[in-house]
Amino acid sequence: MTLTLTINGTSRTITCEPHESLRTVLRRAGCYSVRYGSDTGETGAAAVLVDGRLVSADVMLAVQAEGHRIETIEGLSVPGTLHPIQQAFIDTGAIQSGYSTPAMVLAAKALLDRNPNPTEAEVRDALSGVLDRETGYLRPVHAVLRAAAILRGEEPASVDVVHLDRLEGSGTAHHDRDGLAPLAPRVVPNSDVPATRVVGHAETKTDAVKLAKGNPAFTDDRDLSGTLIAKVLHSPHAHARIVSIDDSAARALPGVHAVIHHGNVPRVRYASGGQSYPNPLPHDQVSFDDKVRFVGDRVAAVAADTEETAQAALDLIRVTYEPLPAVFDENEAIRDGAPVIHDEPDMEGAHDAAHNIVHHIEARTADVERGFAIADRVIERTYRVHQVQQTPLEPHIAIARWDSDERLEITSSTQVPFHVRRMLAPLLGLPVKRIRIIKPRIGGGFGAKQEMLIEDIVGHLTMATGRPVRLELTREEEFVSSRSRHPQTVTFKTGVDANGKLTAQEMRVVANTGAYGTHGLTVQMVTGMRGLSSYNCPAKHFECDVAYTNIPVPGAFRGYGAPQALFVLEAHMDDVAAEIGMDPIEFRRLNWTGVGDPLDIAPQLGEGDPEAGGMPIIASSGLEEAVLQGERSIRWDRRADPGWRQPANRPHIRRGLGFAMAMHGTAIPGLDMGGASLKINDDGSFNLLVGATDLGTGSDTVLAQIAAEVVGVGVHDILVYSSDTDLTPFDTGAYASSTTYISGTAVKRAAEQVRAQIVDRAALLLGVPAESIDLHDRAAWGPDGRCVTLAEIALSTLHRQDQHQIMGTASHVSPESPPPYGAQFAEVEVDVETGQVTVTRLVMAVDCGVPINPVTASGQVEGGMTQALGYAHCEEMVYDETGRMVNPAFGPYKIYRADEMPELEAILVQTMEDSGPFGAKAIAEIPMDGVAPAVRNAIADATGVRINRIPLTPERVWRALQVP
Amino acid sequence: MSDVITGYYRPLTLDEALELAARADAVVLGGGTVVNAHPGRPRVVAVDLQALDLDGIAAEAGRLRLGATTRLQDVADSGLVPDVLRELARAEAPNTIRNAATVGGTIGAADPGSPLLTGLLACAATVAVARAGARAEHPLEAILDDRRLLDGSIITAVTVPVGGRAVAQGTARTPADSPIVMAVACRDADGAVRVAVSGVASRPVLVDPQRLAELDPPADFRGSASYRSHLAGVLVARALAGVGGSERA
Repeated sequence: MTLTLTINGTSRTITCEPHESLRTVLRRAGCYSVRYGSDTGETGAAAVLVDGRLVSADVMLAVQAEGHRIETIEGLSVPGTLHPIQQAFIDTGAIQSGYSTPAMVLAAKALLDRNPNPTEAEVRDALSGVLDRETGYLRPVHAVLRAAAILRGEEPASVDVVHLDRLEGSGTAHHDRDGLAPLAPRVVPNSDVPATRVVGHAETKTDAVKLAKGNPAFTDDRDLSGTLIAKVLHSPHAHARIVSIDDSAARALPGVHAVIHHGNVPRVRYASGGQSYPNPLPHDQVSFDDKVRFVGDRVAAVAADTEETAQAALDLIRVTYEPLPAVFDENEAIRDGAPVIHDEPDMEGAHDAAHNIVHHIEARTADVERGFAIADRVIERTYRVHQVQQTPLEPHIAIARWDSDERLEITSSTQVPFHVRRMLAPLLGLPVKRIRIIKPRIGGGFGAKQEMLIEDIVGHLTMATGRPVRLELTREEEFVSSRSRHPQTVTFKTGVDANGKLTAQEMRVVANTGAYGTHGLTVQMVTGMRGLSSYNCPAKHFECDVAYTNIPVPGAFRGYGAPQALFVLEAHMDDVAAEIGMDPIEFRRLNWTGVGDPLDIAPQLGEGDPEAGGMPIIASSGLEEAVLQGERSIRWDRRADPGWRQPANRPHIRRGLGFAMAMHGTAIPGLDMGGASLKINDDGSFNLLVGATDLGTGSDTVLAQIAAEVVGVGVHDILVYSSDTDLTPFDTGAYASSTTYISGTAVKRAAEQVRAQIVDRAALLLGVPAESIDLHDRAAWGPDGRCVTLAEIALSTLHRQDQHQIMGTASHVSPESPPPYGAQFAEVEVDVETGQVTVTRLVMAVDCGVPINPVTASGQVEGGMTQALGYAHCEEMVYDETGRMVNPAFGPYKIYRADEMPELEAILVQTMEDSGPFGAKAIAEIPMDGVAPAVRNAIADATGVRINRIPLTPERVWRALQVP
Repeated sequence: MSDVITGYYRPLTLDEALELAARADAVVLGGGTVVNAHPGRPRVVAVDLQALDLDGIAAEAGRLRLGATTRLQDVADSGLVPDVLRELARAEAPNTIRNAATVGGTIGAADPGSPLLTGLLACAATVAVARAGARAEHPLEAILDDRRLLDGSIITAVTVPVGGRAVAQGTARTPADSPIVMAVACRDADGAVRVAVSGVASRPVLVDPQRLAELDPPADFRGSASYRSHLAGVLVARALAGVGGSERA
């Protein structure tokens, strides 16, 4: 049918099908800011204005919008300008990946057009239809309030960094917390940290403008003519053999160009986790197998002219299955007689496949039995942590094509482009040099994209058809066929002496890696590492079985085994403190690690080699200060106030406060590697090429700040390009909290090479000794106050005299993994008649060394706490008895939205970590670690009930309250 | 997006709409947010009511009239609508959906956990329905009991008596989550009290507060049958206390 749509003031004649959504049609019309998040309308990435109202273009037919005024962000500003709302989003740090930013800006515009002076609650309501997995909503909400103030002609609230007084050793607190602007990054400075010009400042993101404007920047914004659409046929059975596949009817369907399955794709073993060479065992996957191991497993894929044809082709593939018994629980899976999930003869590297035990991991520092024997008290509890999904708002998407050199070029939303290239080559039978992976902007990843998940499918299909092929997972596929967090059953046993000192710690884990082993070893090693590193204890023992089951596959998820470990550890430490009658923080303080303490379990779990470099020793910790700051912010003393704990006018409500300590790592020592190159341009700007993959965290900006600091320019004089296997140096990718620390050091070294070359030329031009020259304000300054600009130096070196390209290339691997520390606090209200828990405030004070950018660092903490709150409180992947996920959609799978958030506060406690660039440690993952135990401990404080499972949903809490 | 809508009509008159709605393959679009989100039905033609002038909120003859194509956002924003119904319209969905979804569509879709339906049920809403050559008004509970009352028909309006006072109480995983169980009590201008509960049956139901033990709720992962029964007791008592009494329905 033919429609006339009015898009951004222009009348357009459009041909479409009656069923096509407004989103589909707007994208086809070039409005790339209208983005896919789901088919059911609740993600809001496709929100547009229709007659000035914000609506989801996912669930509006294009034809419904005929005769109405449609606005997208493309109509909001012309090239080179920004709308004040867009500017406010940039200035407040409200943009992380930017995938849903256009929708949020339009939501703000719709609100402010009818209400120029909204309350915070009205702003939150206006943003309630745009889900965000990244920011925790704090910055977007205040961006809208800031834009409103500016549009009213008022002075907006400050977004400058606020320096809080250090509390440790001060006896009393000096600073007044009242009147702190909600958005101003809070930094507790450290006198050991040298002054810097760009590093440590709240610079705006280097990629913010294009994201604020919704410019084409993501994988799906790549528009190649003749692209075929791929669709995957998924298993309806949790465990079955494929007896036969008849694809003849599918192949005969007009518009179908390829059908691939185990019958026509070579059987090459691999492990899909995006990890360094050689990929850890087991190698238990092939592109298409003759067996399926979970509901949602791959059976076949098709490439067709349209999505409808591809879907129709899937329906025509006749698959005969022989269903097999299935097992879903990790404890049942490793019992004798359980169905054997990997019985194929060619699988490599499982510990005991006949018992579904992929790995058995043991680590010990000393004899724990002796430690338990000398203990005054021995306390043992069993905990269960569950399966949740990363849910990046942009699902997995990849587009493959043959380039003009007949090399396979794949544009993919991946965290690990270099690993994908290397891992893909044998599956496709191509040499690495014939594959190019391009990572454009990514709409969030959180570990789900640390995986070679779909690139082999588009690769096979392009090779089969010669045509470009695009595959984007639907939201349901993203839940079921992507990756998730490992569930675990954990028994923790602690020995403690009469003074409250630990004598022994034992952690026994049965972990569930689902149908495939990807990341199954390393996630569980991190569980052991994190569960047994926070506290000093003379004897520690970790034992873990990793089990195959028939649930969809867990993998990497922000925190990588640490959130599981720290829920258990910090719940357990709270339980032990209660049993021995000690204050929960005092008990931890008596035992927690600090500067000079060894990370004694680390060498047993693959981190640090005592033979080579000795035991890793903690070199920096701001934990004590973080705890004091957090106690002050949450008003920890209210635990002793009966009037607060039990409000008189709400008899069924109990209030409580909870604490958890968090400790994480910074990169994988001796393994994670980053490369960078930096070169000068004619005007004194620089190109920074990095293999590091910014998922929206702001790592490009942080790396630009590091380079800018060294060469004496502003952050926006550094043009960052990341990442492309043809153009940028190698980087292991965005995972393991490594980018700032590892890639940042590589950038710093490359920039130091460039600095030396600049200084040499400046010395020549100024006629002064090189060692007397300082670089700042885009110029090289001699001791006499004369200067030569970097543009002049560039022109001199590129065009005039002794010509050469000023550039530097460097890489970095660290033998260390310095721990960031955090103090997590939660305030809750529990309805003791219904079990409903309302989390009213979350505070996290974090020692991340020196935050290179306090705004992006605060955003990591706010967004991480919000994602962690979902883990604690409401998110869960739920299955029926056949193994089919019953809630693969937002809503039933509940993530927090803007209008129901607790108050959030992030406090950055500076320490100087000498092994990191400008003193930095990691920040990205530690905010995932403490929320679940802090909320659980707060419920215990409020009600006395200690719950050993998450999520803390109403019925679970109510049932716990019924136990006398 | 659904791939089963094979035709689209935007009738300009109610009679034209009724003629289309009488087709066996017709599906009526309010805002379309439910129909378009749930593919997999038989092939259908969409009959979009947006041009029929069925929207608008008015107080008339002791009743509040919500036109069928009134958007939920307009219900939430209207000063004419009682506070509890405004709150429940807001609780129905986030703003991106409220700006498209309609009152009539909410009744047509009959989501079992719908807060607004629960509220309308407690507030003794009636539903005006047109079919070829006939107009009828049905109590909302009759329509929820017998969906065939809507076959070949178009909902034109919902009306609610004014002067009542209602209180809603729900339990959910998070503050804006769809409630596991919600109870709404409404005391009308004459002092009679009606109580409706969601999450205890396949649709929101009117209950007798004295006979809650007879409920047989369906279970799902958010709440077992026994928990839902427990919640119904707690929440009905709280809602009744909120309207000042425990008169029977």
